[in-house]
Amino acid sequence: MDELVEAFAERRPSGLEQAYALWSPLFLSVARHIISDRANAEDCVHDALLRVWRAPNRFSGSREMLKGYLVACVRNEALTTLRRESRHDARALKAARLDPVPAVDAPSVDPVETQRLQGALARLPEDQRIALMLAYYGNKTQVEIAKEVDAPLGTIKSRISMAMRKLHAELASPGGNRW
Amino acid sequence: MTEHHLSEDAELYPLGILDDDAARNVELHIALCSDCAQRVAQAQAVAASLAAALPRAMPSPALERRLRESVRPRQAAKLRASLLPFALAAAFALAFLGLGWQALVLRERLQSDDVALVTMVHSHFNHVSMAPQSANPVAAKILYARDGSWIYIIADKPGGALHAIARTASATTDLGALTSSGETATLLAHPRERIVTITLQRAGTNVASAKLTY
Ligand SMILES: [Zn+2]
Repeated sequence: MDELVEAFAERRPSGLEQAYALWSPLFLSVARHIISDRANAEDCVHDALLRVWRAPNRFSGSREMLKGYLVACVRNEALTTLRRESRHDARALKAARLDPVPAVDAPSVDPVETQRLQGALARLPEDQRIALMLAYYGNKTQVEIAKEVDAPLGTIKSRISMAMRKLHAELASPGGNRW
Repeated sequence: MTEHHLSEDAELYPLGILDDDAARNVELHIALCSDCAQRVAQAQAVAASLAAALPRAMPSPALERRLRESVRPRQAAKLRASLLPFALAAAFALAFLGLGWQALVLRERLQSDDVALVTMVHSHFNHVSMAPQSANPVAAKILYARDGSWIYIIADKPGGALHAIARTASATTDLGALTSSGETATLLAHPRERIVTITLQRAGTNVASAKLTY
């Protein structure tokens, strides 16, 4: 098993520290895309990582899977925080949801991966790509997407699901493993 | 293992767009079904790739410190508790070595520099007196870790700005200027590579040098 994954699964401090050293800009970028306040976004990263690390887990996958899992946890934590706060301030939620897809000139978290990703996204059917972009970069719920593109909820679900599977097939292909 | 595997929710889950009930259902299912757990893991990897295109944000050093203290609480406390005894021990060692004049400086420096403290507490150090050079030499000593991870240069009555030049097996690097404080000037460095010799320069002239042995 990968040494980092093993350290993480055994809840050794070095597991969390190594994961942080490798991916902390990614984690914070994910949180800040949802929560613009820096301190709150850092709280999210801290809380999410610590919760995962403390909970008994049964990782046995690759390093790439651990990374995906942690990124998903950070995103979830940030979305939960956003939704909790939005009960107090509906305008904040609206502003965050209307946040556009990342500006083209801002440096991305991982330029090499971004390039691969953009190629793969471009090869998706347009309706699938739009649904996925609204979900991920637009931080919209499936119901909101259905309303926005005027399609049934079930259709939106399958478009996003198909898009994710196709991206997986492309991005996980040889040359895709960057570790 | 179950008759009904997850629907598209397996791919939607990592995007965080399911409602709470649906998300919980996914979590319960993948705890028992390795096929669906695999699907979710693959979707999570895709979601991490999507994140690569987000504008880059760099975390503050404070975040790393907080996390470290959260996962190593006892060690952090232990380390803080060991601060004073170590500083005193260092001061005694220096006095014993005839370096009494910098003991105080070193102790202050240690208390203000956590990184130095961490490394010094966990390693043993050597010391060497620098050989004076030129007509107007400087008296200086070097404390350094036996594992080569840090080096502390102390010069007495520097008589002007001093620069430390380090030579390793592969390169020569300028470690920068020593910081003056009263009668002494000091420099703490954490070299990437083991240093073989240190030379002190004043206005471009070598004024002291020493070979380090490990
Ligand atoms: Zn299943």
